[in-house]
Amino acid sequence: MDDHLTPAEERDALAAELALGLLEGQARADALRLALSDPAFAAQVAAWEAKLAPLHDEWADVEPGATVWSGIERQLTDAPNDKVTAIETRLRRWRAGALLSGAVAAALAFVMITQPVPPPTPAAPQLAVARIESNAAGPLVLARYNQSNGLMQLRIQGFESGTLAPELWVIPEGGPPVSLGQIGHAGEAEMTMPPPHRLLMTEGATLAITMEPVSKTPHPAPSSAAVASGKIITI
Amino acid sequence: MGCAGWRAAFLGHDAVARRLNIPVTSLPLDGVDSTQWSSGADEARARLTAALTAVGRGDRVAMRQVYDMTAAKLFGICLRICGERASAEDVLQTVYIKVWERAGQFDAARASPITWLATIARNGAIDWRRSVAGRAVRDTLPEQASFAVADDSPLADQSLVAAEDGARLHHCLDELEERSRTSIRAAFFDGSTYAELAERENVPLGTMKSWIRRGLLRLKDCLGDG
Repeated sequence: MDDHLTPAEERDALAAELALGLLEGQARADALRLALSDPAFAAQVAAWEAKLAPLHDEWADVEPGATVWSGIERQLTDAPNDKVTAIETRLRRWRAGALLSGAVAAALAFVMITQPVPPPTPAAPQLAVARIESNAAGPLVLARYNQSNGLMQLRIQGFESGTLAPELWVIPEGGPPVSLGQIGHAGEAEMTMPPPHRLLMTEGATLAITMEPVSKTPHPAPSSAAVASGKIITI
Repeated sequence: MGCAGWRAAFLGHDAVARRLNIPVTSLPLDGVDSTQWSSGADEARARLTAALTAVGRGDRVAMRQVYDMTAAKLFGICLRICGERASAEDVLQTVYIKVWERAGQFDAARASPITWLATIARNGAIDWRRSVAGRAVRDTLPEQASFAVADDSPLADQSLVAAEDGARLHHCLDELEERSRTSIRAAFFDGSTYAELAERENVPLGTMKSWIRRGLLRLKDCLGDG
């Protein structure tokens, strides 16, 4: 590009491109990652969506087929704010494979302890740590990950209770965010990482937390900017 | 297994693009409060707002109401961008599931309900277009499969969107060079990428980027930050 944009203009143009959906491939992945890790940029993207919003008046209406609604209705499982149901479902479905916290973690601690853990092999980096924090005096999560047995432990503080739950993401360098599931608002939590996710826990990858609607399964992608993030360091 | 979020959706690995579904609750307030509504649109908006708010509390009946009020519009969006009915209907389902999950985040003081819904639908459809599955399906479609939508002139009726904001945006779009305006509109309504637009206009990629970026920055100047 040769239009001599200032860095600020460049950044704003990128936000507009993301809002319009012009990007693809790596450029899109990079911009999405930036939006996740930089709330100011995410706000610029939202501002562009708002600027262009009047265009939504122009779509031509088309009636969908009659089967669409029944497909939707089948998937309206948990009432979004029915926390007890949601937590029960999460417990049933995630078991030890997902992040659990507070009372739930306590309830499952026994299960985890009794699972066989392979002996540590003295080689390569064994331990990965990350300090997941916000700029302001906000939420803070300390993460400790043991490469040898796949155990991830968290200490969580500073999330306000509300309708949204903190969800933890790992963002590989150059890749899209992958949800590790929702965590509690405070306290300690641990999980045994599923093998495919272990490969993502490398030096330089980012751990980030977004606030998401309570969900029985990890979300496929974040719906808002990160409230805290930090790089993984291996030891 | 529970922690398989990245495989949970049919959109596959590209599902990250859902990030685009910025919580519209964070939309800036400008303009939204100062708009004028025709009484019919006003009433429709109030009913939709009430229904969407009830969905946020987990009300299934209200969910059906929201669907009935908006499915044709959101399907129009999905169909235009996906280019094919079966895929557009799949996308429409995922859009309403997102609506169900996120309705609690909708804030009527900050965004109009139809804008909130349309943004989720458009972003969902674009996610699909950028996904492996979407690209594969679109490769089988006839060139330029196109569905009716006004290409360069806004429809005057059924303003679920703020009329005043609309007038300002259209004024500013009209101020742009024609090639910038046409390309920006095509990006919005067709969900086209830079590469697709460059091919369509038969210009180098850099030229297309330059048209659009200059156009967008001029548009922003014209709209002002307020």
